[in-house]
Amino acid sequence: MSQTDPAIDVTLLLEGTYPYIKGGVSSWVHQIVSGLPELRFAVIFLGSRREDYGPRQYDLPANVVHIEGHFLFGDDARPPSKAVRLGDGARAVMADIHQALRGGDSDNLSVNNLLDPQSALSERAFLYSEEAWDYICHQYETVASEPSFVDYFWSVRNLHAPLWVLARAAAKLPPSRLFFSPSTGYAGLLGVLAAQHQQRRLVLMEHGIYTKERRIDLMNAQWIRDSRNILQRDPTEVSYLRELWVRFFEVVGRLAYQAADPIISLFEHARSQQVRDGAPADRTRIIPNGVDVGRLARVRRPPGEAPPPVICLLGRVVSIKDIKTFIRAAATLREKIPDLQAWIVGPEDEDPAYSAECHDLVQVLDLQQTVSFLGFRRIDDIFPQVGVLVLSSISEGLPLSVIEGFAAGIPAVATDVGACAELINGRGDHNDVPGRAGRVVGLADPAALAAACLELLSDSDTYHNAVATAIARVETLYGRDRMLAAFAEVFRGAMGDESPRASYQRTGAH
Amino acid sequence: MAGIGFELRRLSRGETYTSLLRAYAYAGIIGSGPWVLSILAVLVLGLMSVGLVGESALITQFQISVTWLIALSLVYTGGLQLLFTRYVADRLFDHQPERVVPNLIGLLLVTLTPALVLAALAAFWLLPDTSVSYRLLMVIGFMLLCFAWILTVLLSGLKQYGAVLKLYALGYTTAVCAGLWLRTWGLEGLLLGFVGGQAFLVMGMFTLIWREYPPAHLLEFDFCGRGRLHFWLLPAGLFFNAGVWVDKFMFWLWPESGERIIGALHASVIYDTPIFLAYFTIIPGMAVFLLRMEVDFVMAYDRYYEAVRKGGALSAIRHQRDAMVLAARDGVLDILKLQGITLLFLVAFGKQALAALGISTLFAPQLVIDSLGVMLQLLVMAALNILFYLDRTRSAALITLVMLLSNAVLTPLSLWLGPFFYGYGFAAAMLITALAALAVANRSLDRLNYETFMLS
Repeated sequence: MSQTDPAIDVTLLLEGTYPYIKGGVSSWVHQIVSGLPELRFAVIFLGSRREDYGPRQYDLPANVVHIEGHFLFGDDARPPSKAVRLGDGARAVMADIHQALRGGDSDNLSVNNLLDPQSALSERAFLYSEEAWDYICHQYETVASEPSFVDYFWSVRNLHAPLWVLARAAAKLPPSRLFFSPSTGYAGLLGVLAAQHQQRRLVLMEHGIYTKERRIDLMNAQWIRDSRNILQRDPTEVSYLRELWVRFFEVVGRLAYQAADPIISLFEHARSQQVRDGAPADRTRIIPNGVDVGRLARVRRPPGEAPPPVICLLGRVVSIKDIKTFIRAAATLREKIPDLQAWIVGPEDEDPAYSAECHDLVQVLDLQQTVSFLGFRRIDDIFPQVGVLVLSSISEGLPLSVIEGFAAGIPAVATDVGACAELINGRGDHNDVPGRAGRVVGLADPAALAAACLELLSDSDTYHNAVATAIARVETLYGRDRMLAAFAEVFRGAMGDESPRASYQRTGAH
Repeated sequence: MAGIGFELRRLSRGETYTSLLRAYAYAGIIGSGPWVLSILAVLVLGLMSVGLVGESALITQFQISVTWLIALSLVYTGGLQLLFTRYVADRLFDHQPERVVPNLIGLLLVTLTPALVLAALAAFWLLPDTSVSYRLLMVIGFMLLCFAWILTVLLSGLKQYGAVLKLYALGYTTAVCAGLWLRTWGLEGLLLGFVGGQAFLVMGMFTLIWREYPPAHLLEFDFCGRGRLHFWLLPAGLFFNAGVWVDKFMFWLWPESGERIIGALHASVIYDTPIFLAYFTIIPGMAVFLLRMEVDFVMAYDRYYEAVRKGGALSAIRHQRDAMVLAARDGVLDILKLQGITLLFLVAFGKQALAALGISTLFAPQLVIDSLGVMLQLLVMAALNILFYLDRTRSAALITLVMLLSNAVLTPLSLWLGPFFYGYGFAAAMLITALAALAVANRSLDRLNYETFMLS
């Protein structure tokens, strides 16, 4: 293949997920790659250190034609330490580029600039030159409010270290017609560099909001030392180094937003957050996750059949799902529906302490006959017996269980978090179907939750309207085929190619 | 999302800087080490013989034999002394004291077996017309001195100055007493006394080390492992000792200045007398400098690395670095002040002092220039000491190479120019080396913060 006609259509940039780690994003990637067999994919895995990852967790589909891994914090990465002499003005160059990057301008952050040994942005220049030392000292003295110099110094080094790993990776990536990263962060940054290097488009997608998740990670990270002493420490104030890391990921996120087109999110809330974080609104678009509607349609109950008095919460038993509110709502609801069953379907091993508290609460409320912890179950076995699906979470993205429930003809009662309101009440745009597929209630409000469930379970018309809306909405907006078609279209558009090429129709079938 | 995991273990910051603290364990050894003791030993042996042994030719033969043994053993072990001491400092830093003795024995075995072969060959070829017992005692004496220097540096590197001094006093008292007692056997008797004293000294030091660091095995070769030895120390120690002695060797062997004393061993009365006296004049400067280094400099040094490792502010780190510079500068200024006064005294009263000691006043001009050279040598040692503290072993090796080369080039020049210039070659070589050494030490201190953080 020539340079103008790469063997690879879409290069996937995956940070700590597919194909080595199982999880939501990995399943989604696998679904996309398997679902678009006419496209040829490359998988670029970014990890922390090689020894942190076991064998592959997924069988790669035949249309994955290339796979490679890069490890950002491996020990082999750093060049031998030797003093470097830089020309005059190197410090000014360093200051300028940092200033530009904070504003989201990545023009000077190119693969060539990072890898050219003469450049003020080369790895050895940053690690070993006196100019870089002066710059770091200057920043410490004028900007940083971190008392410990050695902590500041190493944080700055560690912050920058992955940059050159990414640049070296970007320089060697096989030619591709387009780069796709399902997150910002390091993968997004690799996308920025690689797309710029190969003069191709970068498509960005966020399943969660990376920067926000990193912020939560960083606030809990043990490895960031808080070197303030008891008098300096103000508990309301985050340590400077934590903030430094958070800002780093914010900058990296902004760079990806500036470079990518389109910028995809799963639901409207997430899209507007992206815009607030610096994504140009005209490049954002929403492509929700899709489910196999055809398969789930087979477990629907016959239309018009009365709902069983069963409410079900699908999810891990952890505090973020607020299982206790669900249990309290079950207690209230049992007053009205004596033969009520409330099921909690999901693994309990993640937070044993919380799980034990939930069991205690069931005892205290004397709900042993009503509430059951069923552990992990196949949804196909559960759905035919469920009247209403409940989601009492205090935080969610686009909950797949609600979409799957809709496909199985089950309305939902959910708290007003993430995309729940969009799913239940509709997006209100012309593509959507009108009507409510259940009820949205406030957070941690067992009475409202119980009332909403009662309304659905006791009023046949309301229930069947909700079921019809749920099925119509999932078929219109959340089908897997629709999602795959949307991505096929996005990819074709970004590759600058509206129709599949003959060449890969011929070779892509193997 | 299963993110990157954030495995930033590299933040185990302090570890990067431990090598410098290890360096601290063996710094300060050149100044207090065998070099002073060796000069003292030659002089003590001279004194012990005065008036005790009738025949002055015999005393000269004995003194020259011992001087050659000291010079050659110091040059041979020059590099090994530092190498061993650093290895031991590293093991103690790793909390493996039981490894000290077995590896010391291993190292001595590996490095001193060739010394024995060389010494035997030298005794065979270079000592014609001497008795078998004299040759045998020379070989044993050489080996014992090699042991003694290595153990001395090791103990002073471990800051056991008191024990070293006591053992030396005992050892040399033994040598003097045994020499007196055995003097009826002539040269061999005196030498046997010296060898006996050395044996006592070596056994004493070895016992001390054994008691301090009880071994788990008798023999180990752990030092052969990768990265166990710091090889830049080898040339640094070798070139330093060769640099200190090369002018003496040249004067001994140059036909116009030296004469054959015994076997192939030469001496140079015209050169030796003033220069060995000159070494006496720097004792006050050396004492003050050692005090500055071991107290002020080390304190600032400890505080500096404390600030680096324990998360001090940059201003605190800079402040402690400045304190190190001040301590070093005060040490150098103290040397200049004290030795300047000594030099002025020698210029004014050199002749009277020599006359009072019963030494020819013709040596007075040469004593002044030698004292200047020796003072400059003390400055070289001061700078080397700083470089060892900062773990700049490569720079130290280069400085000592400058010392060896300049002394080896300028000494023949002074020999060629004639007796009036004797001593000037040595002094000029030390001036060049001192300037280079102070410049390098100054630059190392200047760039200390940058190099500590960016290049370690």
